[in-house]
Amino acid sequence: MNPHLILPLLIPFSTAILLAFLNGFPRLERALNLASTAGLTALSFWLLGEVDRGGIQAMVAGGWFAPWGIAFVADRLACIMLCLSSSVGALALAYACFSVEPRQERSFFHPLFQLLLLGVNWAFLTGDLFNLFVAYEVMLVASYGMMMVGASKRQVRQTLKYIAINSVGSTVFVVCCGLVYATLGTLNMADIALRSAQLDGERAALVTAVSMLLMVVFALKAAAFPVFFWLPDSYPIVPAGLNGYFAGLLTKVGVYSLLRMFVLCFRQPGAELVLQVLLVLSGFTMLFGVLGALCQWEIRKILSWHIISQVGYMVMGIGLAAAGADVAFAAVAATIFYVVHHIVVKASLFLIGGIAGRVAGTQELRAMGGVIDLAPGVAGLFLVAGFSLAGMPPFSGFFAKLVLIRAGLADGQLAIVLVSLVTSLLTLFSMAKIWAYGFWRASSLSAPLARHRALMAPAAVLVAFTVAMGLVAEPVLRLANDAARDVVDPSAYQAAVLVPVPAPGQPHAAGEGSAR
Amino acid sequence: MEFLMAALIGVMFAAGTYMILRPSLIRIVMGFGLYSNASNLLLIACGGFAPDWESPFISEAAGTLMDPLPPDIILTAIVISFAVSALLLTVAYRVYLDHDSDDPEKLPPDSLA
Repeated sequence: MNPHLILPLLIPFSTAILLAFLNGFPRLERALNLASTAGLTALSFWLLGEVDRGGIQAMVAGGWFAPWGIAFVADRLACIMLCLSSSVGALALAYACFSVEPRQERSFFHPLFQLLLLGVNWAFLTGDLFNLFVAYEVMLVASYGMMMVGASKRQVRQTLKYIAINSVGSTVFVVCCGLVYATLGTLNMADIALRSAQLDGERAALVTAVSMLLMVVFALKAAAFPVFFWLPDSYPIVPAGLNGYFAGLLTKVGVYSLLRMFVLCFRQPGAELVLQVLLVLSGFTMLFGVLGALCQWEIRKILSWHIISQVGYMVMGIGLAAAGADVAFAAVAATIFYVVHHIVVKASLFLIGGIAGRVAGTQELRAMGGVIDLAPGVAGLFLVAGFSLAGMPPFSGFFAKLVLIRAGLADGQLAIVLVSLVTSLLTLFSMAKIWAYGFWRASSLSAPLARHRALMAPAAVLVAFTVAMGLVAEPVLRLANDAARDVVDPSAYQAAVLVPVPAPGQPHAAGEGSAR
Repeated sequence: MEFLMAALIGVMFAAGTYMILRPSLIRIVMGFGLYSNASNLLLIACGGFAPDWESPFISEAAGTLMDPLPPDIILTAIVISFAVSALLLTVAYRVYLDHDSDDPEKLPPDSLA
């Protein structure tokens, strides 16, 4: 029972309320917002250290015991995601404080950012399926607000589509919660893992069918094939800076949920069917994403399409977990490493693309050029981040793809390995296109259109991390391996959450739960 | 009872899907209203029913208590879908004011403008 597990939720929540009252005092808002996010980052890293040393920590709300009370669980995977969310959030916010338009900042930009952090952190820490639904809704409603902040015609029009798509997803999600409860009699994730492992025959097939429906929901949030079409239209309208956070974190919440539910939770005979479907979908996701990127001419649109193809790699790792325990372990570790690499690199690319756009006055590649003369530092950062995204050594992208492809070869999945290599090559081509048109060509401008030195700092931190993660991959790989062990084998997770109930004062529970 | 419930939920989801696919923003919003009510009915059905089940508030009752979790989930789902529907309606109205049309196919394609 660790009450501090609720702090990563309470801090953004209380900060959001405070910020809502401070609306209209931008300096005060920025200071409080940055201080709170920095504090959250420190707390996340402390929690990661605690969990790495002392094992999985769990907290059940209201002094109840695990399958009945609502559980919050911090294992290594959740803590890694928490650290990424808060640190990338802090850097994106620092960027946004320099670049956000006053009109947007007045429209509750700062409280919405904290609510977004609340929803994302909540999704990582919760140990209960229905609670995950609520976390998704908090995250989504905050992201609706964030997309419309400032309310230009284009923003409102595109947000309407985003709300409509996600409302369909949420409806299916809530239906899935009901169906999981009807078939398994529990919504607690540790308990789902326990009960689904005991099933056989018709009931197991029923649970597999329900989990397939749930897979569609998470695939929609993660923007996997064939439900990715909403992403390239909606991410470019997010205020500058914050699109780094959206691109890095929001789809990865879907990937995280896929990992959590389909590797850790659903263990009934036949559960690997969902993973096999995911493996096939991942190949299409990679190819469609990168082909979509090739025919775009605006930096933000190209990068948005690349999110889709990169999600394909992560889903590929999850799909490989259908094989035997050894391969599953390697594949999940590779997925976690890839998620870390991707969040950092993608966020940095969005920030760098934003700076290049400000310097050259446009993000349209055919109209821009010469950023290397106008702002050589920005060009250098882009070169490193772009190469890292494509998977060139010595950056983190190389090791991320290396471990993933080794897991694929160990399983003998040659087709998917081939697709991932082709996608990697096309990604390099796409990055080279941005480089050749946007950065290298002669420019008609003689001086940069906007000041950019201060904006470069957050992007530089992220780029430095991807270089460091490539040169010293060992500690991150070790952490990813340990995190994967807890996800592939649910016993430690269950032991931490489902503690035995003491005999006196046993809480009364109705329904199927009382049978335990 | 199960068949009746299943048929009702199925019809509501079908009607909701039809509405969402219509080229009119207000019908899309109404389609989501149908969706959320259909999913709430489905959650009630997930809890199961029997005429002799008692409400979960009387703790010393001798009979079988009904499962309190599905109604609990429904309450949360109603609050969330209410808020999201209100937001969706507002945004749809704003799009109508901006573009003078409630036909999503008449909206301009995505561009930087």
